[in-house]
Amino acid sequence: MAELTDKMRKEVRAIIIEFFAEECEVEQSEINDSTHIFDDLDGDSLMFLELIEIFKKKYSLNIELKAIGKYSVKHPVRTVGELLTMQLMIIEHENNITNL
Amino acid sequence: MSEKVLVTGINVISSLGLSMNENWENLINGKSGIKKISLFDASKLDTQIAGQVPESFEEYSKCYIKKRIRKQMTRVSQMCLTATKAAIEEHNIPISEYDPERCAVILGIVNSANSSVEKDTDIKNTILKGMSNALSAWISLEYGFEGPNYTIATACASSAYAIAQGYDLIQQNKADLVIVGGADSTINPEEIEGFNALYALSTRNDEPEKASRPFSADRDGFVIGEGAGILILERESFAKKRNAIIFAELAGYALTSEAFNIMSPKTDGQGMAKTMEKAIKDTNTNKADVDYINAHGTSTMLNDLYESLAIESVFGENASKVAVSSSKSMLGHTIGAAGAIEAAITVKSIRESQIHPTINLNNADPQLKLDYVANTKREKPIRCALSNSFAFGGHNSTLVFKNYPNNS
Repeated sequence: MAELTDKMRKEVRAIIIEFFAEECEVEQSEINDSTHIFDDLDGDSLMFLELIEIFKKKYSLNIELKAIGKYSVKHPVRTVGELLTMQLMIIEHENNITNL
Repeated sequence: MSEKVLVTGINVISSLGLSMNENWENLINGKSGIKKISLFDASKLDTQIAGQVPESFEEYSKCYIKKRIRKQMTRVSQMCLTATKAAIEEHNIPISEYDPERCAVILGIVNSANSSVEKDTDIKNTILKGMSNALSAWISLEYGFEGPNYTIATACASSAYAIAQGYDLIQQNKADLVIVGGADSTINPEEIEGFNALYALSTRNDEPEKASRPFSADRDGFVIGEGAGILILERESFAKKRNAIIFAELAGYALTSEAFNIMSPKTDGQGMAKTMEKAIKDTNTNKADVDYINAHGTSTMLNDLYESLAIESVFGENASKVAVSSSKSMLGHTIGAAGAIEAAITVKSIRESQIHPTINLNNADPQLKLDYVANTKREKPIRCALSNSFAFGGHNSTLVFKNYPNNS
């Protein structure tokens, strides 16, 4: 569990945008919070897992997939902005995100 | 009365090229696609040659498949989707005008070729790359087809079976457009060693281009190939309404089982003959109208002998009037893809009124007495053509294609 700083928020956003730009072969400038991951980027749900792996390593997170699953049932992720929110929640609350 | 099933698109990716036209030019000019294997170090294997898809495929496929999706696909899956997208693009198939629930994809797939030579397989994509059904699924996903999409595995006859199933879907009024075909690669050390253990492969490593020699007295086994073949089948009324280019009519087929041996065909090709007879009968074809047979023609001792005897048995004294050629003499045996690749070539032959040669046929086998279109192409109008596929496991198929009037 980590306290989120502005620097971390910027870092997480930059990683997510860089990831989608690279994987989906689009310019970073074409991606913003309202960009739809499936409709606009032809993305897929596996990308969420890959990003979680990246952040797990980067911030040494204690998070289980089933916790993320429970959270995402209540808070479906469709856009880059929603994904950013979910990643920040995971970093901040780790397995406790199920209580949110 | 059921509507006819028409072929309105064809494409092939193989060792002879990345498009139907490139393949056709090479086939008609008798060029071999067989070379030393470069996908991996084959120097320790008994067989070191194969018909590999050109390395330029990787760059070419990037025009059709996004990086993200490519990572979840094997090279063979990429060949399949690329061949499909290129066919739809080239033949101007107006996908959006079809009811997605009446569009289907049926492919002949032995496996997805997620072998030891496949690059970049890791824990994240191993399941998706390994699913053989992924090949039809990717096409369905790409175009939003909501009709059935599935794969069929009947070894070397897989994609011929898929074409037959596609025919049925249209004939039974369950679909208006069906993408059929197949893709395969067995160019990997495990499967080559496996085929070598069965004494099935040529070991003519010093003369790759001359190794596949169907119907020749000195044939010593087949040569492995790889690739994808796609045909777009369409209901006649739909194709005519949109003024489509019609390559040929798929008039029907026969599928039979040898019920004899897991590897060998029935003595003297009785099962093969029965399959051709049934296909001819079920499509109300006059035997005298069959101008061409694209043979299974593997370059193995038994297949070529028995297939020839079967053709003799079916056509009797007129057997020598039917032109017979083997695409495998140039492409090698593309296993699960062979039925579709050779069906596409058969359709192209009808369209072009030309028959590609059987190459490397300089030493005639005295037991084989048919007209194998040896070494040089032939100009010949084709009213009706058969495409044969006979597989390990005794899966036999004969597809019947007919010239479609006014198909210009």
